[in-house]
Amino acid sequence: MLGATLDRRLHFVVGKGGVGKTTVAAALARLLTRRGRRTLAVEVDDARRLSALLGASGATGAPTPVAPGLSVVAVEGRAALEEYLGLIIPVKRLLATVFSSRIYQYFVAAAPGLKELMTVGKIWYETTRLEGGRPAWDAVVVDAPATGHSLQYLRMPQAARDTFGAGLVQREAAKVVELLRDPRTTAVHLVTLAEEMPVAETLETHAQLVGPLAMPVGSVIVNRVHHRRFSPAVLAALREAAKRAGPEERALVRAVCERAAEESGWSDINAAHLARLRAAIRDVPIVELPFLFVEEFDRAELERLSRELEAAGAERAAVSAVGP
Amino acid sequence: MTLGELVARHQIVISAGSGGVGKTTVAASLALWGALEGRRAVVLTIDPARRLASSLGLESLGSGERDIPAEHFRAQGLVPKGTLAAMMLDQKGAWDALVERHAPPEARDRILTNHFYQHLSQSFAGSYEYMAIEQLCALAESGRYDLIVVDTPPTRHALDFLEAPRRIADFLDRKIIKWFVRPYFSAGWTALRAMNRTAGFLLRRLEQATGIAALAEISDFFSSMSGLFENFQTRIDRAHEILRAPGTAFVLVSSPEEQVLGDAEYLSSRMAGLRMPLKGVVLNRVHAEFRPARRGRSRDEIGPEDVEQVADTVARIVGAPEARELAANFVDYQVLARGESLRIEQFRAGLARGVPVVYVPNFARDVHDLASLAGMHAHLFGTRAAA
Repeated sequence: MLGATLDRRLHFVVGKGGVGKTTVAAALARLLTRRGRRTLAVEVDDARRLSALLGASGATGAPTPVAPGLSVVAVEGRAALEEYLGLIIPVKRLLATVFSSRIYQYFVAAAPGLKELMTVGKIWYETTRLEGGRPAWDAVVVDAPATGHSLQYLRMPQAARDTFGAGLVQREAAKVVELLRDPRTTAVHLVTLAEEMPVAETLETHAQLVGPLAMPVGSVIVNRVHHRRFSPAVLAALREAAKRAGPEERALVRAVCERAAEESGWSDINAAHLARLRAAIRDVPIVELPFLFVEEFDRAELERLSRELEAAGAERAAVSAVGP
Repeated sequence: MTLGELVARHQIVISAGSGGVGKTTVAASLALWGALEGRRAVVLTIDPARRLASSLGLESLGSGERDIPAEHFRAQGLVPKGTLAAMMLDQKGAWDALVERHAPPEARDRILTNHFYQHLSQSFAGSYEYMAIEQLCALAESGRYDLIVVDTPPTRHALDFLEAPRRIADFLDRKIIKWFVRPYFSAGWTALRAMNRTAGFLLRRLEQATGIAALAEISDFFSSMSGLFENFQTRIDRAHEILRAPGTAFVLVSSPEEQVLGDAEYLSSRMAGLRMPLKGVVLNRVHAEFRPARRGRSRDEIGPEDVEQVADTVARIVGAPEARELAANFVDYQVLARGESLRIEQFRAGLARGVPVVYVPNFARDVHDLASLAGMHAHLFGTRAAA
């Protein structure tokens, strides 16, 4: 199932802060690149972590190749607006006057969602841009900003379409909305943890997407899932035995026991919240990524996660091909 | 100084940090500690998990504080010497209340349905943060509490919270607003065009590009709201004063994850520059590294290379078929803990001297009721509150 979703061109990765959204976006970009797709990874505002994870150094204001078949670009609302105005006001000197005027600065800050719209507009531009008669990119992966409301950016084109009177912005917004809603092109991936708050927000976001926003959800990716369980009987036996062990072994055995209890505890929490997710979301694949026990998360770990994502996708695809 | 002394000596404690690190839980736990110790405490929370909200008596969003009834405490085996109230920040409601207070009655509905107002009150960067500060000021001025604990909004950069007053002040700069409240503005850019041909040309293009409706609404909003912005600067100055008062303490909450700790480091260095120094640090969700006593050992670390040895020890003791899996799990956690302690060590090196740092373990359970909030006290304060 994830396999078919991956064929789409535009992938938005959304999720609340602290769930590993950027990491998953990077893993998805790597996965698409491995499959031979010319991929553009997009980071929004001044995050810089996606490009760092993918190996970029320095400015990425324009698409910058970081590996064969993979480029990154940083999109910033204000810069995108200036670029856009550059297209409709093609006199450089005049533009400079506009951009330095306080009224313009103010207008940009005040106009509802203009910056967000321009950000999504720029992503739209890259997604639909042709090069030598074919699309410049086979896949565009967007690490959407982790604001309190992860949907703010996706909501803006519609808000702008409805807010602004007839004009260029309104027409642009309508085009963007059309692309975002097209299930042949676009997939929104919801990244979450199998814990109470992230799942609550994911369910809310999912309802918004399939409801008022009418945007195609590609998958739910559950990050950092714990899988080990130890039987309470073994843990109890271990605890008892620790009391009889010599002082050196006692401390060690206790620690072994505590970690086992911790892992079992998290596995139970994760399982309960996964069940909640699976009961509520039935229309898209729910993919699990394992918790990685590493000292430091680096590019080797990213590659590992990317392969896990691929395997999880393939498994689901096989299951769905056979049918329930 | 300990974290306990820190809380005892301050009237306002602000829990700052990136999203997803347990800030809300820590804030609630600090306020509960205050209440148990005899303070009149209140916690201002932003977006608590449902079960935490209900244990704080915040089932529904609403303005105003709710006292947590004494029987709630008794039911959980707690005997507070003081009182605890909780309040949930309702951003939209707070803005609407501001409009109600300051706008002439005939203009209210026009303002509340104004697109620009809706943007300002719901999604303008800094607006949420500003309202949290506005609520904090109201609580501080009420005189009803001697300990106010504030949970900050989940922003990527916690610094947004501290800079919100300035940002809103810039935004509501009266010199600029003046332009927008001139009546001709709602009709278009005509007057500006007459003033300056170049600017006129450009603004006309801008107008074509964006549609005039938005500009008319901005103008309408400011014309209706001019009363509110008259004393805005005073309010912002007051907010600054409260954030910098000697009785206000910022406590940073962070997890030991790489990215989060990096943000925390940045935050603490910038805070000093803003004259709002960090006074305490809570490292939440920490994994402890097991270190054997040195006796008879050449090394004091156990890592992945020791998995066989640990498995043998475990197998000898319980003889369980799970011995290997138990040992593998143990060394996995050792690896995790090792990475964390290296990062924490580096982080602590950059902190000012005397700033207390406390560790709260990564509980494998949701902390959501008063008893489990009190359970955190052993880690935060090294002891339970005197009951």
